[in-house]
Amino acid sequence: MGKLFATIHKELLLLFRDRAGLLVLFLMPAALVVIVSLVQENVLQTTGESGIRVLFVDRDRELLGKTFEEQLTASGAVQVVKGSDEMDGEAARKALADGEFQFGIIVPEGLTEAVQKRVEQQIRSAFHSDSDADAVDTALPEPPSLTVYFDPLVQGVFRAAVLNALHRVLLTAEMEMKAIAFSQVVPGEADRILQTLMGPSFPEGLFPRVDPAWGRERLLAIQARQAGRGGFLTLPSSVQQNVPAWALFGMFFIVVPLGGSIINERQGGTLKRLMTLPVPSSVLLLGKVLAFVLICLLQFGVILLIGIYLMPMLGTAELEMGTSYGTIALVVVSAALAASGYGILLGVVATTYEQVSMFGPVSIVIAAALGGIMIPVYAMPELMQEISRFSPLGWGLNALTDLFAREGTFRTVLPEIAFLLTFAAGTMTAGWWRFRRMRIE
Amino acid sequence: MDPQLSPLLVARNLWKTYPSGADPALRGIDITVNAGEIFGLLGPNGAGKTTAISIMSSLLRPDAGSVTINGVDPFRFPARGKSLFGLVPQDIALYPTLTVVENFRYFGKLYGLKGRELDRRIRECLAVVGLEARADRRVETFSGGMKRRANLAVAILHDPKLIFLDEPTVGIDAQSRNMILEELIRLRAMPGRGMIYTTHYMEEAEQICSRVAIIDEGEIRITGTPAELVAQNDGCRNLGDLFLRLTGKRLRD
Repeated sequence: MGKLFATIHKELLLLFRDRAGLLVLFLMPAALVVIVSLVQENVLQTTGESGIRVLFVDRDRELLGKTFEEQLTASGAVQVVKGSDEMDGEAARKALADGEFQFGIIVPEGLTEAVQKRVEQQIRSAFHSDSDADAVDTALPEPPSLTVYFDPLVQGVFRAAVLNALHRVLLTAEMEMKAIAFSQVVPGEADRILQTLMGPSFPEGLFPRVDPAWGRERLLAIQARQAGRGGFLTLPSSVQQNVPAWALFGMFFIVVPLGGSIINERQGGTLKRLMTLPVPSSVLLLGKVLAFVLICLLQFGVILLIGIYLMPMLGTAELEMGTSYGTIALVVVSAALAASGYGILLGVVATTYEQVSMFGPVSIVIAAALGGIMIPVYAMPELMQEISRFSPLGWGLNALTDLFAREGTFRTVLPEIAFLLTFAAGTMTAGWWRFRRMRIE
Repeated sequence: MDPQLSPLLVARNLWKTYPSGADPALRGIDITVNAGEIFGLLGPNGAGKTTAISIMSSLLRPDAGSVTINGVDPFRFPARGKSLFGLVPQDIALYPTLTVVENFRYFGKLYGLKGRELDRRIRECLAVVGLEARADRRVETFSGGMKRRANLAVAILHDPKLIFLDEPTVGIDAQSRNMILEELIRLRAMPGRGMIYTTHYMEEAEQICSRVAIIDEGEIRITGTPAELVAQNDGCRNLGDLFLRLTGKRLRD
């Protein structure tokens, strides 16, 4: 045990004197958690402060223009900036091309009037039979269209989100206008029909007036709730998604200092000396693994503290971790062992520090991308979703998000823990076998 | 039998061919090192010195042949066998960002030393190589000579019976070299101790080695005391002349 503890102590000493290595291990994941959480906080609008700026030009200045503006502002999905009434399509296009706005919406002049006429005509048509169709003016022109300009850099998801919001606003406005027109037209039409049927002596105004407010009343609504195992949960914040994701990413980055330590020992000659000492190679490797597992736990702890204490100070939600603390610890230790195993394997297979420092980070970034650290797995194409099932970072992230946001338990994350430990055992065994071959050819 | 002449290291019929090499690196060499001896293994680059040292220090397994250190086969009984010797590699095999004491403490613990014994041996070894005043300085701040001295000290921390020294005086100043050679002579005088020493400096070998072997192309060409070998070969004024006569003047890779 003394030799094992001596090796752990030596590894920790070496690591804490490598300032660049410490920066990579602690500052990088911390910065990623803070920055990505803040960025996504705006995208997800959990703070209600959207960063999407919309240029809104109301040339209509009537009901529809005002309704669009009110509803877009109320949606909170975009930041509405009102442009001059005189602004035309060309001026709006230029403003977007300058990158000032992500979207531009122009409500054309006379839109409300044209739509009103159109709606009234539709309702009147409904009350007239084909024989007296001449009584309805069917020659009305189509109402002018609403024009939406996009910044070409705006991604498809955001574009679709804003278009959906606009469609919703249009539908609501249309319903309201139809309700108003209905309320105005129906009593007159009813009187006319009754007089036709009953004779001119039938008194007017017997048909009750209709309050146009009925059109605004919503009958159907969606209640969006998160399905957790223990019942319905609150919406997971960006912090809850990013803390486990980037903490795992940082943990797997230990492959660089860990693999690099083996390369340095080999190139510097200390490995040769170590190989002549009365110490089994398993103790030398286990000492490295345990030292770096400790570092991983420390990393994770630091990131958790950032999520719990720092992020709320920056305006985001506080990190909620669920209640399965023991299982969370088990997942983190399993992920740390998997990362250490990979680092050992990389260190014994690579022949130069450059190989470790190039291949290590690239492979981790790929595994992170596949594992859903950067983009959720459900948003990937089917083939990539299949491939993502083989990413150790994906296993770790699935388990942690399950515990953090879906009220997962030891039983629900057992497969991920098993995958991580199998990966750790496989890479460590392969690394140990190669290390022994390095000792005695 | 004089314990100072009992065989400490016996290597018999060592053969080794590397997977990447066509010719054998060693062709059945025999080496015996007795207690009280510094045995010089001399040869040009690529002659087989490092392969021989690597096999005898159990870094490399031979294709054929056997090695015993104080009667123990280090390949069969690695824990016992490896605790009997210390290796001073050609490279500075120390952690540059650790202090000398931290290096000594780590390697000492791996040799099985602990507690007061470890502290005592660290103090003694620091004194032997004249680094007491710099014990808490990082190795990376040392001069080449100081690093070489620390490199030697690690190999004697556990007071081994046999020490393998692979060119321990390369690239250092005269003072450091003198200190190392004096220390080796002092160690040789200790009961039951022996050394195998490789060097390209023939005058060094003549100065400190009890016996030398000149190896070339994987074979030992000649063995004996430096004085005997020079005397037996007419026209050779010193070991350097003999070395060139046996190994030729052709440049080696």
